[in-house]
Amino acid sequence: MTSPVEAEDAQASTALDEETESKADGKETKGHTGRSPGQLMWARFKRDRTGVVCAWVVIAYFAIALLAPVISWLYGKDPYTLYALEPDYPFLLDDFEMPAGDLGGMSGEFWFGVEPVIGRDVFTMLLYGMRTSLFMAFIITFLSVATGVLIGMVSGFFGGKVDYWLGRTTDFFLAFPSQLFFIAFMPIVIALFVDPADETPTYLRAVAMVLVTWFLGWMGMARLVRSSVLSLREREFVEAAKVSGASRWRIVRKEILPNIVTPILVQGTYMLPSAILSIAFLSFVGVGFVEPTPDWGRMFAIGAQNYEQNPTYMFFPGIALFVFVLAFNLLGDSVRDAFDPKTGR
Amino acid sequence: MKLTRSRSMRAIVVAVAAGSLALTGCSNDNGKKDNGKDGSAKKEDAAKQSKPVAYGDAAASTGPAKEVAGAQSGGTIGVYLQSDLSHLDPGQIYVSDAGQFSRLTHRKLTNFLEDKDGNLTVVGDIATDSGQSSNGGKTWTFTLKDGIKDDEGNEITSADVRHTIERMYSKVIFDGPSFVQTWLSGKDYRKKLPDGPYKGKHLPDDVLETPDDKTIVFHFDQPRPDLPQALAMAGYSIVPEKRDTKEKYDKAPAALGPYKIAERKPGKSLKMVKNPHWDPKTDVVRHQYVDGYDFTTTVEQASQTKRLVADQGEAKNFIQFTTSVDPGQIQDVVSDPEVNKRTIKGFQPYVWQMNFNLNKDVVKDKKVRDAITYAIPNKSMIGADGGKYGGELAGGLFAPTLPGYDPEYDPFEKSKTPMGNMKKAKELLKEAGVKEGTKITYAHANSPRAEKQKLIIKRTLEKLGFDPQLKSIDAATYYEQIGKVKNPYDLYITGWGQDWPSPGTVVTPVYDGDLISDGASNYSHINDPKVNELIQQALTEEPEVAAKTWEQAHHRIVEEINPAAPIYYAKQLQLFGSNIGGARYSTESSYVNINDLYLKKP
Amino acid sequence: MLQFLIRRLTGAVMIMFLIGAFTFFLFYTVPQDFAALSCGKNCTPENIAVIRENLGLDKPITTQFWEFMVGIVAGRDFAAGSCPAPCLGQSFASGEFVWDSIMDRFPLTLSLTIGGLVIFLFLGLASGLLAAWKRGTAVDKTVSGASMVLSSFQIYFLGPIVLGLLVYQTGWMENPKYHEFTEDPLAWAVGLLIPWAVMATIFVAQYTRMSRSTMIEQLQEEHVRTARAKGMGRKYVFFRYAWRGSLTPIVTIIGMDLSSLLAGGVVTEFTFDLAGIGRLAVESSVTKDLPLTMGVMMFGAFFILILNIIVDLCYAYIDPRVRLA
Repeated sequence: MTSPVEAEDAQASTALDEETESKADGKETKGHTGRSPGQLMWARFKRDRTGVVCAWVVIAYFAIALLAPVISWLYGKDPYTLYALEPDYPFLLDDFEMPAGDLGGMSGEFWFGVEPVIGRDVFTMLLYGMRTSLFMAFIITFLSVATGVLIGMVSGFFGGKVDYWLGRTTDFFLAFPSQLFFIAFMPIVIALFVDPADETPTYLRAVAMVLVTWFLGWMGMARLVRSSVLSLREREFVEAAKVSGASRWRIVRKEILPNIVTPILVQGTYMLPSAILSIAFLSFVGVGFVEPTPDWGRMFAIGAQNYEQNPTYMFFPGIALFVFVLAFNLLGDSVRDAFDPKTGR
Repeated sequence: MKLTRSRSMRAIVVAVAAGSLALTGCSNDNGKKDNGKDGSAKKEDAAKQSKPVAYGDAAASTGPAKEVAGAQSGGTIGVYLQSDLSHLDPGQIYVSDAGQFSRLTHRKLTNFLEDKDGNLTVVGDIATDSGQSSNGGKTWTFTLKDGIKDDEGNEITSADVRHTIERMYSKVIFDGPSFVQTWLSGKDYRKKLPDGPYKGKHLPDDVLETPDDKTIVFHFDQPRPDLPQALAMAGYSIVPEKRDTKEKYDKAPAALGPYKIAERKPGKSLKMVKNPHWDPKTDVVRHQYVDGYDFTTTVEQASQTKRLVADQGEAKNFIQFTTSVDPGQIQDVVSDPEVNKRTIKGFQPYVWQMNFNLNKDVVKDKKVRDAITYAIPNKSMIGADGGKYGGELAGGLFAPTLPGYDPEYDPFEKSKTPMGNMKKAKELLKEAGVKEGTKITYAHANSPRAEKQKLIIKRTLEKLGFDPQLKSIDAATYYEQIGKVKNPYDLYITGWGQDWPSPGTVVTPVYDGDLISDGASNYSHINDPKVNELIQQALTEEPEVAAKTWEQAHHRIVEEINPAAPIYYAKQLQLFGSNIGGARYSTESSYVNINDLYLKKP
Repeated sequence: MLQFLIRRLTGAVMIMFLIGAFTFFLFYTVPQDFAALSCGKNCTPENIAVIRENLGLDKPITTQFWEFMVGIVAGRDFAAGSCPAPCLGQSFASGEFVWDSIMDRFPLTLSLTIGGLVIFLFLGLASGLLAAWKRGTAVDKTVSGASMVLSSFQIYFLGPIVLGLLVYQTGWMENPKYHEFTEDPLAWAVGLLIPWAVMATIFVAQYTRMSRSTMIEQLQEEHVRTARAKGMGRKYVFFRYAWRGSLTPIVTIIGMDLSSLLAGGVVTEFTFDLAGIGRLAVESSVTKDLPLTMGVMMFGAFFILILNIIVDLCYAYIDPRVRLA
């Protein structure tokens, strides 16, 4: 479960040239003295229209996820009630247990239609599902990035034995076929914590999912950081710093870290949607969140089964995911461009 | 990374779950009959047909089988399966997919012959008739037909029949039915012949006797009127002694029937070709119209349905073997007349029921059990399984495929309140004095259908004032886990189907208190002296008399004990390609009648 | 070089051993009776005991593990016959030898991977280089934009739609099916065309974006600019200097994709109802078939490890600044 992420990490492994960057910066900063690199980056980012639009889209997704309870309160439905069973809503489903109305039962009452078979409200299911997925993905990405950066830095900078053993450890984790690992080990992780008679609490499933995906989620980042550091270590300016007697810590902080922030950030941006897909994958195979916890991935997975019969049920969650992944990928590109204008478009 | 869909994996889960209980049941309704505007099978149809099975004489058992009108010879039929056959060794076969396969390649002492209306007669398969009983039904004698050979041309003798029974005592066999062994040697039959026939030992002659090459005699300690039906199970198919390779036999069994295995790639495909040593004159049931069968064992339910609905290219020659139409596509199938005429419809032998664990305090009070039974919205539960083409409201615990099924029987008035009777349920709970917020544990398999049904059960229990604890169990081990006597769950849904069309194969395994043990199928742990007594009585009675006793036991169970709330009777809906001829719902298998198929344009 | 290889190969063997041990012992932490999984409807304690003995589950866990590991090197004997090395044990569920099952499925997985790879590598690199060459023009924008959109799709989304259009609606093509390459190369290619095309559509985007952006980066590297300044032709510099420099990241990603595809493209196989390693893997974990799970995990791990070593060798070859560590 790694590939789209790696799409960009590789370019980071080709070294970034501080000199060219500073030259480029020099050009741009003419007449704007006294601006920090962060401000410069921000200024460049603001000029990138695609990037700004995507940023807003992504912010909107997060806002919707955060405000899901409020929105659903205003809208007057929730994702848990089986409306088809409520006497207030007769005839929501037809004889085949499909939504009775056209377009998956879309109406003023149910904006995105109703779920086949048990008749929950698709709109609020989607809101809450996005909420679940985004928060989970956020945690997984954060943990994976932190772990990966730490291990990659240590490995790349210290080299030698440390690098060898960390490299082998990374190899060990990388050698796991990740999809199989997720399927096989999620039930095991859960079984380690729960008494068989009790209901598995939702938070525990969340923890187990985070553990399993984190377990196999950090190596891409570690390898990327390591190879960047490795290339940088051989570079003249690092050699120069070493010769001038700078401490290791200082070299890491002042010479190396600033140069790998871009790939880390870009990689991180790509890891988030990939984490969402991983969570979705777990839900698909029945080892992730289970009913009734709303889950984005499970929704469009179920919808895809019968997309010919009931296109709208796949359409809304599917398109929502597509737009989100696209926006996040474009945002990643824009962020990279803003940090590192020489790649440009 | 591009992620996978769940459906596929779930399909396997479902297949596994279904496999654990799906058996080679027989059912007795004529699904072909369209009833008014609603094309789904009706339980009234079934009722007409659910009479006890007749036992055929030598004339009825003499081949060849009656020709299917318009049948052509030649060509190869394609078969869609979701996953590979669980076993090929007949001794291990208890589940439906392998059972259906067995009809093509294995032969048994007896077999079911089905007429065009779905009436069943037990006839001799390799025996000359359905068996001669003497000594008040305690002794059964079978004589073998001439000219029965395996696919290498070896004549089958009574020694092979004895070998077939005896090998089921050994450790090679652990999955098949155990009726006949238990009847012959008691519950711990394995101890009577620990190594089976493999070390030269045999059962004593007062148990199983082979006076000559053509005769085999079974001796029981009590009347066993159902023996001819039990021996018609796929599990009792003949394994020739010379060909038995013990564990390896499960990969390459000998063929006695019209087709033999030509090539098998486990988990992928299976090719079957004609068995030249099968003599049609000896077989009154099977045909050999097509040259062979090509199994593809990797096609999921939804894809099978899509391919057969589209009916393009090679899909025209394909059938669904044991899979049903994908519930999500039922509408597409039945509302298009062109597609609809390529379906078979009928009942499956399963009754889905909500088992109450009678060992648990929460459901000890019958009023609580009745309350939950009244409250369950059966119609919604069926909805999660495909709607009216997926199932029919269940009034009792006898499926429409069972002799003695009564369509009017509905003690909980489910036909009046298909969405549940909350008012009545709440009254009962009040009488029982159940406190608001009482914890109740509901266990379910993690299959897609059970996941949907769990939401309905959760809502129902919440409305009743319980605090439902939902416990998801891996579908692969679901029945094993709830099959433990000391399982910690209060409620769980199970589906049970008959092994042959006799209530004895339902009431005995599922509701007999003497049979409570780990892994046994008395999931509710009901142990009622009256029921136990009725069971013992009925088991030794002739079918016509027994039917009354079974009915009495059934009513006692449902009305006075209520160990399991009836939810719905499962239905069958299968599709086949447009070039397939002779396809019909088989009452015997509750699937397509595999032995009569031909290709219209070979 | 030789020392590097020996060291890495020893490491690979150790890692595979560790993965085997990790999987094996973690599986046994689950309060689950494996014997119960193999018994069908008649799941009585007596039958479970028989199965347990048949499967060797009555022996201590460490003995079972040791027998499994020894079997890989030396082969083993089962009731169902002797299993030659490399013996990955006998499946709990089907009774097949795991190695046979894997070998039976592997040709399909290999065909899917190789066919897909050839298409998406060729298209991806070509379109990426084109975009880099025409940087900033409408061509560049179209190629980059399209690749971005395509890469946001998923196989399970695109697959059914393509199947719906080409197979179910129009009947232009048959459902994907695997034929042996050695028997009928044409049927082999035709049968797998749809999966290849769908895989390629989605994977190609990464290669386009990657090759484009690294080319652009490389073109700004000093040695490339120097070469250009020395008066070398644009084409020559483009394909001789910059191209080589941009290979490193592409090799990385090829290695990653290849290994994950060879270890089992679960999605592709399920979308198109094909039986390869991925399906085997999922079946094994659904049925908790430990030997099969172990076998597939180790088989997948084998490819991942070997390809990693090859990728590292390529790094050194392409970029002499990277030393073999």
